[in-house]
Amino acid sequence: MSQAPTVAAVTARVEATTQVTGAFFQTRLLVPEVTVEPGQFVQLRPRPRQGLYPFLRVPLSVSAVDAEGGLIDVLYELVGPKTGALRALGVGDEVGFLGPLGKPFPVPSAGTTPILVGGGIGVPPLIYFGTCLRAADRDPILVVGARSSDKHLPDGLLEPASSQIRRATDDGSLGHNGLVTDLLEQALGASLTAPVVYTCGPHGMMAAVARLCARRDVPCFASLEAYMACGIGVCVGCVVERADKDSQPSADGHYARVCVDGPVFDAQEIVW
Amino acid sequence: MTELTTNFAGIELRNPVLLASGTCGYGDELAPFLDLSRLGGIVTKTITPEPRPGNAPPRIVETAAGMLNSIGLQNPGLEGFIRDKWPYLARLDTRILVNIAAPTAALHGEMAARLEHVEGIAGIEVNISSPNMKDGGMLFGCSPTASHEVIAAVRAATQRPVIAKLTPNVTDITSIARAVVDGGADGIAMINTLLGMAVDWRERRPILGNVTGGLSGPAIKPVALALLWKVRQAVEVPIMGLGGIATAADALEFLVTGASAVQVGTATFIEPGGAADIVAGIESQCLEAGIERVEELVGTLRM
Repeated sequence: MSQAPTVAAVTARVEATTQVTGAFFQTRLLVPEVTVEPGQFVQLRPRPRQGLYPFLRVPLSVSAVDAEGGLIDVLYELVGPKTGALRALGVGDEVGFLGPLGKPFPVPSAGTTPILVGGGIGVPPLIYFGTCLRAADRDPILVVGARSSDKHLPDGLLEPASSQIRRATDDGSLGHNGLVTDLLEQALGASLTAPVVYTCGPHGMMAAVARLCARRDVPCFASLEAYMACGIGVCVGCVVERADKDSQPSADGHYARVCVDGPVFDAQEIVW
Repeated sequence: MTELTTNFAGIELRNPVLLASGTCGYGDELAPFLDLSRLGGIVTKTITPEPRPGNAPPRIVETAAGMLNSIGLQNPGLEGFIRDKWPYLARLDTRILVNIAAPTAALHGEMAARLEHVEGIAGIEVNISSPNMKDGGMLFGCSPTASHEVIAAVRAATQRPVIAKLTPNVTDITSIARAVVDGGADGIAMINTLLGMAVDWRERRPILGNVTGGLSGPAIKPVALALLWKVRQAVEVPIMGLGGIATAADALEFLVTGASAVQVGTATFIEPGGAADIVAGIESQCLEAGIERVEELVGTLRM
């Protein structure tokens, strides 16, 4: 009911895995029966026939889709046994695939200026979103931040998403020495027509972006990450507090589920 | 063909596989992935007398061969359940057990009495075992006296089969099992989750918002089997086994050890349609082993 019955539980095959930079890898999956919209995510289970470990599926965002070719790219950072298992798969290996999950980024209405603000491993879904916007002649401003230059995704990956890329690093090793919110503030100060901000990255960064947008009365949509089990709304594990919890008809509505009510939320709908 | 039909405490089940409370919601979200009519039944997410918001996040964390949860019984409350969730459940072609929890024995009884007026419920599963409920659940299930009192209150309020769901977090689970049978339970479901905790040492913080949670998944299967074995010898009523069941072989181990039926829980989070595969696997493995009726297997552990 809350979940459209278009979510597929199927077996995908690995087409290729490439090292993007440092600990970032991109795996291309062949999943002919599925389409994913920008902002939606997938859950993967490496080698599904070979037992239950690692245990829960890996929730990942999608960085590119080739609908005609039935291809979906996931871009991830090697952080533990699950992403390690995904990285270790060879061409043709099976991957349990559940998706598309959650709600996509809302399409910016005509006449608005989309600004995408990403940090760290939150950038990949914005690449896919930006690529789709450009294809629709809506070239967005893309602001990306990372701790240092070696944590930035390479230009070649970002360029399909925007012709106006602005970079920041915490240590000044690339682009602006400081925070993405500094660059966002600059962008918003440049008398843009009806800016709309979309953000994905570390919680603290998104909270700062949301605060800045609220202060300037700019619409802001944030794609959240959460500890997650089922991905389809059953377990109620991946919740976030609603800003309007006190006016919900039932105490049951105090929290929203990131997996099916999100992962993209209007930043004003949730408690940061 | 192996006959899979099973009678559990008077409830006729198509097969001995049910979905465990808290892992299948109220059926609707899973229906796109799983033909629920292929299952013996489903046990609803726990309902409480009033709606509950549940615990602060994070509520989930993966651990070795399992996971911790501290959902905290987020639910729409008894009347919300009857109004918004039951109409869908009532249409399903499978047995529906309604799982209840409340802060007092008397309120458990009142819930059962209210549900007595709802047509189509196959049985009441009483959650005296949630480790995430500060005003009930495991609080009752750790004491034989309190467990007895809760089950007796439900027993007095309903004609339906009453199933007590037990916690493993006790010194002697057989004393609780005897107490609930003495209180009028027609069956037992066991085990609920084990109390557990996960820590981020760099942040020096517990990972779960509620600090502690309930451990489930394959990690707890040996614990569940051992406790099932003990309780099987202590009481006569049928037992639904659960705790880490993820494959048909897991389910068959529980049946042999003394469970008349099983519940699949956390495994559904990994394969939403997995319970139907477990049913198919039970059938094919029984056929291969020359077992005509799955009920023949129950409690046949050779010692």
